[in-house]
This record gives sequence, structure tokens and C-alpha cells, in this order.
Amino acid sequence: MNAKIVTLGLVGLLGLAVVGFVLAVLIISWFSNPPFGLGNAPPQPVAFPHTVHAGTPAEGGMGIQCEFCHRNVTRGAEATVPAVEQCLFCHKQVTGRTETARMEIAKFADNPDGTQLINWERVHRLPDHVRFIHEAHVRFFTQGDTPDRQLEVAQVCSKCHGDVASMTEVQPMKGQSLKMGTCLDCHRENNVATDCTVCHK
Amino acid sequence: MGAGYSLTMKLTRRNFLAWAGLSAVGAVACEGFGIREGEFSLQSPPELPEDLVRGKDNWYTSLCRTCPSCEGIIVRVMEGRAKKVQGNPLYPTNLGKQSARCEATLQAAYHPDRITGPMRRTGPRGSGQYEPIDWNTALDSLRSRIQTAAGRVAVVTGPMRGHMGMLVPRFAEAVGGSHLAFEAVDNVTYRTALKNVFRQDLMPDFDLARAEVVISFGADFLSTWGSPTRYSVGFGEFRNSEGKKRGTLYHVDSRFSMTAANADRWIPVKPGWEGYLAMSLAYVILRDNLQGPGVDVASLTGGRGADALIGFRPESISAILPSADELGEDPAHLIEELAHTLAEAKPGLVIGGGSAGAHSNGLFNLEAIYALNYLIGSVGVPGGVRFNPASPLEDIPASAEEASLAQWEQAISDIRNDETNLLLVHGVDPVHGLPGSLGFGDALNSGSLNIISFSPFFDDTTIMADLVLPDRASLEDWGSDIPEPGPGHQIIGFQQPVINPLSELDPRSFPDILLSIASDLGVQDNLPWNNYKDLLKESGEQLFALNRGSVTAGSAGEFWNRLLAQGGWWDENSTGPTDVPPPDGLLSNLASKNSGPQFAGEGAFTLIPFSHNTLLEGRNAHLPWLQAAPDPLTTIAWQSWVEMNDHDARVLGVVEGDLVRIESDEGSIQVPVYLTPAVPPRILSIPMGHGRSGGPETATGRPATESQNVMDVLSPRHVDGTGSFAWASTRVRVSRTPSSIKVSKFEGNVRAVEVGILPGERIIQTISPDEL
Repeated sequence: MNAKIVTLGLVGLLGLAVVGFVLAVLIISWFSNPPFGLGNAPPQPVAFPHTVHAGTPAEGGMGIQCEFCHRNVTRGAEATVPAVEQCLFCHKQVTGRTETARMEIAKFADNPDGTQLINWERVHRLPDHVRFIHEAHVRFFTQGDTPDRQLEVAQVCSKCHGDVASMTEVQPMKGQSLKMGTCLDCHRENNVATDCTVCHK
Repeated sequence: MGAGYSLTMKLTRRNFLAWAGLSAVGAVACEGFGIREGEFSLQSPPELPEDLVRGKDNWYTSLCRTCPSCEGIIVRVMEGRAKKVQGNPLYPTNLGKQSARCEATLQAAYHPDRITGPMRRTGPRGSGQYEPIDWNTALDSLRSRIQTAAGRVAVVTGPMRGHMGMLVPRFAEAVGGSHLAFEAVDNVTYRTALKNVFRQDLMPDFDLARAEVVISFGADFLSTWGSPTRYSVGFGEFRNSEGKKRGTLYHVDSRFSMTAANADRWIPVKPGWEGYLAMSLAYVILRDNLQGPGVDVASLTGGRGADALIGFRPESISAILPSADELGEDPAHLIEELAHTLAEAKPGLVIGGGSAGAHSNGLFNLEAIYALNYLIGSVGVPGGVRFNPASPLEDIPASAEEASLAQWEQAISDIRNDETNLLLVHGVDPVHGLPGSLGFGDALNSGSLNIISFSPFFDDTTIMADLVLPDRASLEDWGSDIPEPGPGHQIIGFQQPVINPLSELDPRSFPDILLSIASDLGVQDNLPWNNYKDLLKESGEQLFALNRGSVTAGSAGEFWNRLLAQGGWWDENSTGPTDVPPPDGLLSNLASKNSGPQFAGEGAFTLIPFSHNTLLEGRNAHLPWLQAAPDPLTTIAWQSWVEMNDHDARVLGVVEGDLVRIESDEGSIQVPVYLTPAVPPRILSIPMGHGRSGGPETATGRPATESQNVMDVLSPRHVDGTGSFAWASTRVRVSRTPSSIKVSKFEGNVRAVEVGILPGERIIQTISPDEL
């Protein structure tokens, strides 16, 4: 009898361990993906204000198009961040109007041997098992037959990233998790296939 | 419930281990599901990666420099690294095909033994002891040595076509020196024959695709002779083209080459008598009135008709072919049959080169061979010999003249007499490629001689240099080429850098160095460009101004981009001359100056060396892929061998792998024997390209028994009338040695026996219907 109870106890413990393990996996998977930190983007090595660069001239910005810096967004899977060399196209001359700006620009412009790089903290991230092609999404919304698919590139970007041009610090879009539900909602709304293999590797 | 039940668990050893194990698995699993730290960072690299898109490839056009024919290539570049080389589908000479040699261009760029930067010799000459120096010191040293030499400068390069063909001679002239173009297997005799027969300075194109019968004399055009990739494309269509009769190829050669192996019939003529066979074919054609339509026989024969060639009757020269027993038919009958087949073909084509032109009477042989084309009406017609037009750009040569052996002998004499004080060597290895008995290597040890090499690798010549200024690899540098032989119309190929040198390398472009030195020395009048790219761009503008050809654009800038995207410029409407009459009395004059071959030495065997299929004459010996590529006929890789008739081997008492000593009046080498019935008796064949003593381990790292330089036994005999190297005119003695090695070959490693004889091998069994 004692042996039976001990066995049951052990089986119970094992079951508990398995359930705990599965729960742990789920919790880690959920929280390790955006929006991890519930909307608070990590601090960046250079305080890059999108407002100044991508904001409209009316609002004091330069009105630079998204794809000027994120050069690959209309060409490939990854949007890519610009090389320091590209920043220096302007910042060789533009050294900043405020002391803060000058300090931030000097972080990468003070680069006598040309080896300076910037390690940005990622704000938007999709899990490894997801295949996301920026180019295909931009093309879908910019080269369609209907007005809702003839948008400017910046308008397409804002569908997932929000109005980055108005952000001093880039934050995930409010109310949008960039989880599977976000993708599915948009795919359904635009009558695009939702088969598993469309997105999952 | 039992009295002993308790909710507390006793910590036994078993429980402890179970929990510990579970915790460990959990910890590992949780860690595994976590996200690596790097996943949260995103890097802005220092420099703008113009075309660097992860996972995306770019294809750039360029030119291949691993063989003289210089094919158009496209290179797959991913993330700044070249990954694959293929033929440029647009480039007219190779039409999207490429040789194995081209593919190994990658290894020339990423070779671990590339010279990393400029170096100065610190030990005795040839010791290989060098110290690194910076480029300023190196260029200062180069400049001062040129000034000290005061005109006693020889610039030694490979044959230069395109812009280098203009730039290098101009530089040599500017510094008061001379330019010597080195090619171990030179084309001097071939060029002279073309000039004498066709009055052309440029090598012609052969329209194999539309020919019906081809007779090739000694020209291994499917392996190494001329433009093998172009000929292979043409040969494919010659054999199997829609709406066309399958072409028939005869190959006349004293060696069973790759082209012989592909021929419908191989005719093993005795070495050096190819011209006699060609004249005999001409005699039969004249005698039987089989000449091509409209051919002026009287003009060709000085009005004498077949009588002019009476001395070449098949029955009187049949001794130049094997006996009737060996051939399986009467040799005279074979000549008659061959002449009829050739003359009745619409059209026939006759090609000659290789060993046929490398005998003492090589010029007579090649002239007789090419004159046949006039007789059968195959000059300037589809399916025949097509001539190439002049270069589209003034001053940019379409032809690369090489120095003859006679000129090399003079150059060696100049070095010994201190009339040459400074050698600038680029891209060639004359110490390895010239016959050893000339003593070029010894001459380099002459007292005050300075040697500066621009090679990116050590080789037998560079290891003797005082200063090494490594050039860029071809994939890293600009360039141009007017292919020779060309495709029958005007063309100029452009080579663009498709990768940057690896960060640990600091090479510098050879033409850029020449331009900057000329400027520093104040002799830049004829070399006014800042760098080589400027020179090429200037030519791009000139091509744009021509307003014709394959590249169309609205501006010179757009033209330049399109030119590079296409890999070059060509104009299919600008063809070479088609109406080229023969010299008067061509055949009768040839008949009167006929000559048989003269051989050097007294040995019983004639040595017919040949260009290695991938290593050529040694220039590619440092590239591992090309060492590992098996020879197409013997399947041997990584080592040298001597091809010997199996009957001769029985008489000598040797078997495969036995080392034999090949001895001439000039020297001796030991090589392993490869037996084959496809070598005529008393003939030996050894590939060139092996036996290098300086350079990367790929070229030099094998024992002497496996790697010997055939040039060490060749007699430095001239081809009469040209001063060219008669590399197939050496007689040698052969003797056994007690040693033997295993021949590294693919052939025979899988047992070639009928499967199914042994009980365990009943894979496929042949049975009669009754047994079913």
C-alpha cells in the first residue's frame, strides 16, 4: 500500500513538473518577444530623434523618407539600419544646434580612423520561427490597384511601427503587440493568405 | 491508508538524483528557449555596405585571368565575398560557358599563401628570406632602382592585350628599357604562319559550329590550345546542332590528346611530319580536281597544278604514318580517303597548332596546314576560317606578341653582360617556364642585377626577387582585354573589381604603380592618367563616341555603367575581312621549301610535352582545385607522369608507377610511368606545369618523385625561320630506376570487372526467357 502511494505521489510530482515546464516555456516565449517591457523601449547608445530626421518640415523636421536610411526596406527581407558612413553624409557638416545634439553626434562623428560603429538596441523583433519580408509588405501596399494599396512608403511603415516620425524615442506602437494576432488581423483584413507556411519557417 | 504514509518525502539518494536530473533538464530547456543576447542588438557598421544585403547575392561581370584566352565571367558576390564564377552569357567568345580554370579564380583571391604586402629580401637570393616594408619605402626603392638602372631595365610580363598592351610597353619605353612578353608555349610560329599564309596579324576564329568536316593537326583545341571554351561551344554545335549534319572530326597528332579522344578518328602521324601529310592531302585534292568552287588553282600552284606537289604523293610519303598493320589499312589509302572527305565537305576546315608547330620545321608544317583552307575554299566563309578585325580603339592592341626563344637567349645574354640591370617581373615565371638549359635562373644570380616582382604569390622567379610588390588578384582589380582569337567581330572586354582584398592583405594594382612611378620620375608624357581606372574610363568615353555596338546609352556615365554591367563592348557588324586572296604560288612555294623535322639528342624516344589541362605550363600550379582536377585522359591528379606505350614498357620492364629516368643532352628527370596503348611506340608525353620550386605548398609541397619540370630536359631548339621554341623536338633516353610510387589517379580505383561473377555480387543477372 505504502509503495502504491509513493508511486502515485511520484507520478503526481512528475505531472506537476511537466505542467510547470510547459508553463515556463509559454511564459518565457510570450515575454521574451515584443512588446517586452510593456511599451518601454530600451535606452539607445545614441539618442536619435526621428522627429528631427523624419518629421515634416512644418513640424521642424527634415522630412527624410524612411527608405533613405532604412535602405533595404523596399528591397529585401530586413529594413536594415544605416551605416555610420551614411549618417556622416550629413553629419560631417551638421554638428548639431544644441549641446545635447552636439554630444550625441560626436559619439559617432568623432571617427578619425573610420572604424566607429553603433550597437543599437532592438525595439521591434519577431521570433526566429517567423519569416517577415519587408519588401513584400511595402510592395503590397504601394503598388496595388486600389487607393488603399497605393500608399507612400512611410504610411506603410506606420501600419506596424506607428508614427515613428513623431517619436523622439522609438517605441512599439501602442496597442499593437506585433504578435501572431496582429499579423493575422491584417492578413484577414486585406484578404491575404493565412496558411501557416506563409509566415512560419 | 497505511500507518507509514506521510506527505513528506524522505530524501533518499534516488529521490535526490531524480530531482537533480529534472532540475538540470528544466534549466537547460529554459535556457534553450531563451533569446540570445545578440538578438536584441542591431548594428550600424562603420562603412556603407553599398550592396551588402544579408542573404542576397549580386552577380558582377568581369574577366577571367587564369588562362590566356581570358573569358568573360560573372561572379556571385554575397556580403562582400566572391562565391562562384560562371561564364558571362553575353560575352561573345565563351557565351556563358567557362573552363574549370576560370572557376579557380576564387582560389587565387582567397589563397592563404598570398603575399600580404610589400617585402624586401634579407637573405641570399633564392633563400626566401624577406622582411615586410611599407608601401612608401617599397615605392621609393623601386623608383631609385629604376633611376640607378639608367635605361637598363627589362619589363617582363605575360602577353599583354587590351589597355595593358599599350600601358606596359609605353612605361618600358618611358624609362628607357624594353618589354619582353613571356609565354612558355609561345605562339610566335603560329603568328608567323598566319602572316605568311593569310597576311593577317590577328589570330583568326574557326567557325566550328557550321563546319562539316574538321581536320586538326596537333591543336588540342578542346583542352588548352587557342580559346578552348569557345571551341568547345562550337564543337558542341558541330556535333549536334538542329538541322545540320553531325560534323566529323579527324585529329592528326603524335600524342593522343583530349581532342584526339573526341575525334572520330585519330591519325598518329610521326612527330614533325604533319606538314607533309597536309601537302599530301593538297596533292590528292589537286590531282582529283576536288578544290573548292572558284579556287584559283593556277595561282596557288604557280600554274603547275598537282605537279607542283608531286613529291607529296600519298604512296611516297606513307612512311610518316604507322604501318598498314598498325593502322588497319594502307596509309596511302587513308590519305586519299581523308583528302576526298575534306574536299567534299561543305565546308571543311583545317586547324593546326600545338606540337605541329613546335618542331624545327614547325613553320612549314603550319603554313602547309593552313594553306589547305584556301584549296578547299574555306577562307572567309561560314564554317571556315574567319578573320578578326582591328581593335575598336586606337592604340589599344588586339594582339599580344610574345618574345621568341631567340629573344630570350638575347635577354639572358644582356643580363649576364650587365646590359640589363633591373628586371621588373609581372605575372609570369620564366625561371620555371624557360628550358632549364638556357640558364635563366643562373643568370639571375649575376652580380649587380636587381629583380622586382609584382606577383601576388611566390614562384620560382619571385623567390629570386630583391623586392616584392604584390599585385591585386584579378577579382580585385580593373582591367580590359581584346580576346585573341576573337569571335570574328570587334570586341573589348572590361574587368571590374568585384571584391575588396581581405583586410590582412595590402596589395596594390600593378598598372597603378606604373602610372604613379612614371609620374614621379617625370616621364608621364605618354602616360598621363592618374590611375588605371581613369584610363579605362577614358576608353569608355571613346567607345560611347563611336555610337555603335552592344551598349547603348544617353550619356557617357550611363554608357560606362552599362558597359560594366554587360562585361564589355562588342559590335557584331564590325567583322574582319572576308575577301583575303592567297599569296601567289602559296602551295608551290611551300613545296619547294619543304623540310623534315630535325631532333636534338640521340635518344630512342621522342619527347612530346603538353600543356596540362588545368595547370597549363605551371601558372596555375598554386591553385588547389586545379591540382586536384584529374587529367581528362589519365585521371591523374596532383603529380607529373610520363605516358608510355605499353609495348615499350614491356621491353623496358616497367609497370605503372615505376620511376623512370628521362635523360636528354640537357638534363634528366625522374617521373612515374603511366601505361597506355594510345601512345605511339617510341613516343613519350609529359605534362608541363609541375616541378615548381618556389611558392605555395600546393605547387611545391610534393616530393621530387611526384613533381618534375619537363622543361629541365627540353633542348632549347628553335623553330627554323621564327626563333620560336621547338618544344617537341627533343629526343630522350629512358632507363629504369629501382623506385616505384603509387600513381594518384581515379581510373582503376573501382574494380573494372563484370559484376555478378562472385556469389556476393549477383546484382544483375542475365537469364534466358525459359529460366524466367
